[in-house]
Amino acid sequence: MAVKYGIPTDPDYTERLAEFEARIQRGEKIEPGDWMPEEYRRQLIRMISQHAHSEVVGMLPEGAWITRAPTLKRKMILIAKVQDEAGHGQYLYHAAETLGVSREAMLEALLSGKAKYSSIFNYPTLTWADIGTIGWLVDGAAIKNQTMLAACSYGPYSRAMVRICAEETFHHKQGKEMVLLYAKGTPKQRQMAQDAINRWWWPALMMMGPHDADSPNTEILTRWGIKTKSNDTVRQEFINEHAPEILEAGLTLPDPDLRYDPQSGNWIHGPINWDEFWQVVKGNGPMNKERLAARRKAHQEGAWVREALEAYAAKQQKTALAV
Amino acid sequence: MDTQWPRWEVFKQDTPHKPHQAVGSVHAADPQHALLTARNIFARRPQAVSMWVVRADDIFSRTKEELAADPVNMESEKTAALRPYVVFRKTSHRRSMTFVDYVGEVSARSPEEALKQARAKFTDVEALAWWIVPADRLTKSDPSNETIESWFAPAKEKTYKQQQYYATVGSHVSKHKTGREDTDEA
Repeated sequence: MAVKYGIPTDPDYTERLAEFEARIQRGEKIEPGDWMPEEYRRQLIRMISQHAHSEVVGMLPEGAWITRAPTLKRKMILIAKVQDEAGHGQYLYHAAETLGVSREAMLEALLSGKAKYSSIFNYPTLTWADIGTIGWLVDGAAIKNQTMLAACSYGPYSRAMVRICAEETFHHKQGKEMVLLYAKGTPKQRQMAQDAINRWWWPALMMMGPHDADSPNTEILTRWGIKTKSNDTVRQEFINEHAPEILEAGLTLPDPDLRYDPQSGNWIHGPINWDEFWQVVKGNGPMNKERLAARRKAHQEGAWVREALEAYAAKQQKTALAV
Repeated sequence: MDTQWPRWEVFKQDTPHKPHQAVGSVHAADPQHALLTARNIFARRPQAVSMWVVRADDIFSRTKEELAADPVNMESEKTAALRPYVVFRKTSHRRSMTFVDYVGEVSARSPEEALKQARAKFTDVEALAWWIVPADRLTKSDPSNETIESWFAPAKEKTYKQQQYYATVGSHVSKHKTGREDTDEA
């Protein structure tokens, strides 16, 4: 049976769209095989594949520190975390594949530079304190977004997010623990933690994407239950949780305008440098070229493994037929 | 463009008394490769005691909406032999990290006939989606204790992968939180 992706010129589009939106209103999950607007499918493929690529590229900044972890315990934690990112990429590619896009096509888009991934991974990891800060701030920001997406209307994406959130919370906590220990440590350790916070704070705030007023997709994504909260709402939740914790640890934040507003209970941040955000999105961030080059190299160097396993499988099949 | 191999759906059983549940898919060249990859991707943490894989192409699936719109055509060949089919279904819209659960087996001449039988046999709860898989197409992990130990036990000891390991970090964890992450991990 052909999967039905409706387009507005279909004679029954209005009717089916109404039923589709009613299903989402009732809190039902849309599953592979169900009718959905082509635009719903397109938006999901865009978001999920971008998300998958982010997990895959996200292994690079941290992977670079596995050999330099200060203790065996920290090395084991970091290896497990990077393994998780690889797994999360797999969960997400799977969710996108249920919409009829192939993994080959998605990887091709990533390696050719056509596909986007989270800009945060185009910043360098300069010291060991960056590893803790990435866990606390970058994964902290990611969890806020992912918790929101775990409630989304598309079954496979929601399930991937529920699984990812459960695992990602470990990433957040180990990072926070690391930074808090450094904040209580030697002057050099404190200075390293502060330096890392200074460099990662703003890029972390940019992870939720442009302000609501500049986010043209938000309305339809909300209507169809893909996004259940706006960018600014998620960003505010992140700041409200993390700003007081960082300050309480005796560290500072690189935002002179940051203040607590007792009336709303919100921490109000200063202006975000969106020029920097768009520069990095367009490929001009500090590490864009290196990240892509590393992915391409890994893909090329793995080619013989893929070929060998395929040859082995073909040989086994032949033997099985001969028996 | 090179190949990423065929896609295999993965079913994981958390404990001996729970059903196998669809957790996601992997790409692999053959069934054993698929099982190994599935173990690395879906059993990095407790718990698991068994895994099954099946080629995505071997699954016959229908959602409730599909069945309402187009009842399954039952023209199975009368000459075809009866064979066992494994039945999985989804019964809830609740937030979850798994899709369809194993419910049992039926014997039929085609996937369509198997689905019809499944709908007549498993009626305790309304099904939102069905998966029908020829039993001989499932590849299962070795059920011996030795394999279960070597495949699934290591994840149990790596407690640093669990968020609870870090529960005591900072005095202010709950103090400042306006909305705690709800991860469905009760």
